[in-house]
Amino acid sequence: MKNKWYILMMIPAFLLVVAFLYFPLARGIVMAFQNYNMFDLTNVHFIGLDNFKAVIGNPNVSFWQILGNTVIWTIFSLMFQFLLGFGLALLLKKPFAGRGVYSGFVFYGYALSGFAIGLLWSWLFNGQFGLFNDILTRIGIIDEPIGWLSNPKIAMFSVIVTNVWYGIPFFGIMLLAALQSVPNDLYEAAVIDGCGVVRQLFSVTIPYIKPTIISTLLLRTMWIVNFPDIIYAMTNGGPVNSTNILATQMINTVFKEYDYGKGSAIGVIIMVILFVYSVIYLRLTKSSGDDV
Amino acid sequence: MINRKKKMAYKVFRVVMLALYLFAAIIPLYWIFITSIKSGDEIYTVPLTLIPSKPSLASYEKLFSFSNFGVYFKNSLIISLFASFGAMVIAIMSGFALSRFTRQRIKGVIELVMYFTQTIPTFIIMVPLFRIFSAVHAVDNRGALGVVYIATVVAFCTIMSKSFFDRIPKSLEEAAEIDGCNLFQSITKVVLPMTLPGMAAIFCFAFINVWNELFLAVMLINSSSKMTVPVALNSFISKAGISWDVMSAGIVVALLPTIIVFGIGQKYIVAGLTDGGVKG
Amino acid sequence: MRKAIAALLVLAVLIGGVFAGGAEEGGQSGTVKLTFVETMTSPSRTQVIQGMIDEYEAQNPGIEIELISPPYEQADNKLTMMLNSNQELDIIETRDYTVKQFVNNGKLTDLTPYLENWDATDDWMDLTWEAAKTVNDTPYFVPQFFYVKALFVRTDILDQYGIEIPTTMDELYAACKELTGKAPGQYGLAFRGKANTYKISDMMLLGDVGNVNVDNFHEGLDGKFFLDNEAGREALAKYVDVFRTACPPDSINWGFNEQINGFVSGTTPFLIQDPDTFSSFAGQLDPSQYTVVPLPVGTTGKRYLDYGFNGLSIPTTSKHPQEAWDFIKWMTSPENNAAFCKAYGPLPIYNSVFQEDPYFSTGGYQAWAEELNDENTVFVKYPLDAPEYPAWAQVQEQSMQSLLLGNITIDEAIQTWSDYWGF
Repeated sequence: MKNKWYILMMIPAFLLVVAFLYFPLARGIVMAFQNYNMFDLTNVHFIGLDNFKAVIGNPNVSFWQILGNTVIWTIFSLMFQFLLGFGLALLLKKPFAGRGVYSGFVFYGYALSGFAIGLLWSWLFNGQFGLFNDILTRIGIIDEPIGWLSNPKIAMFSVIVTNVWYGIPFFGIMLLAALQSVPNDLYEAAVIDGCGVVRQLFSVTIPYIKPTIISTLLLRTMWIVNFPDIIYAMTNGGPVNSTNILATQMINTVFKEYDYGKGSAIGVIIMVILFVYSVIYLRLTKSSGDDV
Repeated sequence: MINRKKKMAYKVFRVVMLALYLFAAIIPLYWIFITSIKSGDEIYTVPLTLIPSKPSLASYEKLFSFSNFGVYFKNSLIISLFASFGAMVIAIMSGFALSRFTRQRIKGVIELVMYFTQTIPTFIIMVPLFRIFSAVHAVDNRGALGVVYIATVVAFCTIMSKSFFDRIPKSLEEAAEIDGCNLFQSITKVVLPMTLPGMAAIFCFAFINVWNELFLAVMLINSSSKMTVPVALNSFISKAGISWDVMSAGIVVALLPTIIVFGIGQKYIVAGLTDGGVKG
Repeated sequence: MRKAIAALLVLAVLIGGVFAGGAEEGGQSGTVKLTFVETMTSPSRTQVIQGMIDEYEAQNPGIEIELISPPYEQADNKLTMMLNSNQELDIIETRDYTVKQFVNNGKLTDLTPYLENWDATDDWMDLTWEAAKTVNDTPYFVPQFFYVKALFVRTDILDQYGIEIPTTMDELYAACKELTGKAPGQYGLAFRGKANTYKISDMMLLGDVGNVNVDNFHEGLDGKFFLDNEAGREALAKYVDVFRTACPPDSINWGFNEQINGFVSGTTPFLIQDPDTFSSFAGQLDPSQYTVVPLPVGTTGKRYLDYGFNGLSIPTTSKHPQEAWDFIKWMTSPENNAAFCKAYGPLPIYNSVFQEDPYFSTGGYQAWAEELNDENTVFVKYPLDAPEYPAWAQVQEQSMQSLLLGNITIDEAIQTWSDYWGF
């Protein structure tokens, strides 16, 4: 009976999402199978899997390297965002004087745009005029400036550090909230059982907030994979492709090469990867993350 | 005794860690701020000056006099408020409905539809979206941009709001209905007040995302009088590089509303998420 | 329950309302409204153009011009989308990178009939004609200005170490090496490692190589890729060497901005850039601290220069091409062209402006006046109309970075490039 009302209530959200995301997406997916290149739109036609073949077999920009970079970028960003965010949440759990102001300062990064963060950090990391090298030189740790963004072996590290910095507040906020929902009597019981701080963490806290952990990790993975802004602003995938991920390659293909067909093909690849990943992830965590 | 020492050590550890987090978080903010009050030639001096030698507000003056930043700020504020409020209202309805809906299969499909939006790269929908907007003459329309923004955040907002409502026992509405409330009344009078902090969290999330959005705004807005803040910031990058003086001032100003929303909302965000959160 | 429906309805109306609210406010009858999209946007440039539009509107009641200024980095893409979805535009900025695709898609009006009746074209430089006829030997736009590279020199730093201003590439390389290490953090050249690096590296290499087809310098006169010969290999070796020995290692990740920082801070007292770079120094460098000289010549005794450009076109979707043309004519007239270039930096399109306006033959601009008139200057073109061209920047940047870092050899790099272009 009431379900009819519920359906009515879901319609606005559903319509918006379908009209402005799925409908254009469908058109975008079609483009992935066409020679849709802005360089010449007079002869757009279906070319089967050619775009995918061209993207994967690109002799100049190795697909497998980009895929590998995407995996490294995602795993390390996610891992440290989560661990450091969790640490921050644990530190903030107990009230202290000035906690409100303090969390304002540690969480503000969440309010910045990825584009601004990328620009700002590329400046901080700049080899000649950057703050980091300046400070390290001043305190005598290094003699030669470090090429944070110019050394292909270090560049990925630098962009990941930036992304971690950006993502800590998200986990901090989400996990802090979850931590505060853990009933106090659980801890009391644990103390009576003789659990130390560490055991409390692993046998009480983590199991209780596991659903939050599972769903935030999944969402964050999707966001990180689809988040080219920082890399785009800092290195644009360079040097020598060392920081090029699928999402930045997609921007380059669309914005610089005007090849929307190939760009969309990369987009489809990203979505397929994420979809498969989500299915496996949810299977593996099924026991507790039921209706995620 | 041992226990006390342990406690002391823990306390010291905690203070040190808190200080480290604060330090790491604040460096970029400090840097952008002092850059914004440095004079033009001091920005690029080597060695760097960590404290501006002659602080001035010239960059801010330039920002507002020269680039119409006030107008962009107003546009961004209106669009962001409209979109985040709209997204919140719509997500309250859809989240509540999804939470209470009893046909599991349809429910599962809709949830999947919402979740799957998070995997869509912006760039794959940009051209088609532009064409649709162009066809219905909705390009260069702040309202239309606001509606697109609602669409981009409403899925995640729905996921969040559903998890809040999941925490509210059904019996509450049922009791209200026995007292003669209709569905609308039982939502607004009974259920919503209990999830207000959660709704504040949704609002903040939507606001921050919309406020920072760049590419859709670039594509869908033409007139300079309708431009938003991220677009304006982006236009400080030209063929002749980045004007860091106005750029840094712009970033600082652009941070203000989100920090205010965040500052006010933070208490509610944490409280709201505590009640429900993205918990699945 | 009724209230719920009412609430939904209100919401629907609200959403519908904001859509409808944006309907074009029709201009007053009799006024022609033109839409003008600029693409090489910067806040100061937009202000200059808006000022000119205001002036034009004041002189021509009945004409109203709306200026659209998307941010520089996305402007070409936005314009492409606008054109391809047939939005009504009247005046657009077409540039070297975009002209071919606009023509391919049938978006630009052939301006030949308009140009035939315009005396000012008699005064156009040869370069102006060359640029205008980039595609199909047909003028699809009126050029507005040129970007040509020259060498910026920090004379104060050179004087300090007693180093002469170089006139050949070899002298430049030697000077860079001599400067490097004179003081902690002192290097020679503001190297461009990222973002369209070829626009600078090619000009540094060509002077040592020569023997190229000027209409597409990628092609050597022997029909091979222009670097695929002994001279090319040597030139490339010198280029790699100067990066490794006389440029900041970090400069492999330098774009325009870092180049400017390097020059302004004195870290790298040599900079190869366009004339609009002057504006980036404003307030940071005193004119007495630096000078601009023609690009040093290579071992062939010549300097090869490409010219970046931008011009005004009338899209085929325009409903007011005549009014649009009147504005373009006004905007690019010798007088306004000179004023625009002064305010914004690049080189004007008229012979008479160079001859009669001392501004463009003295001071920093003297270098370009010399370049334009020097018999040792050869102007060359990129294959702007090749379908491979849009993706070339990324391919070249990546393989050049590999070469600079020693991951691949000179032969391998040349092979990659030859393969890419199908030589």
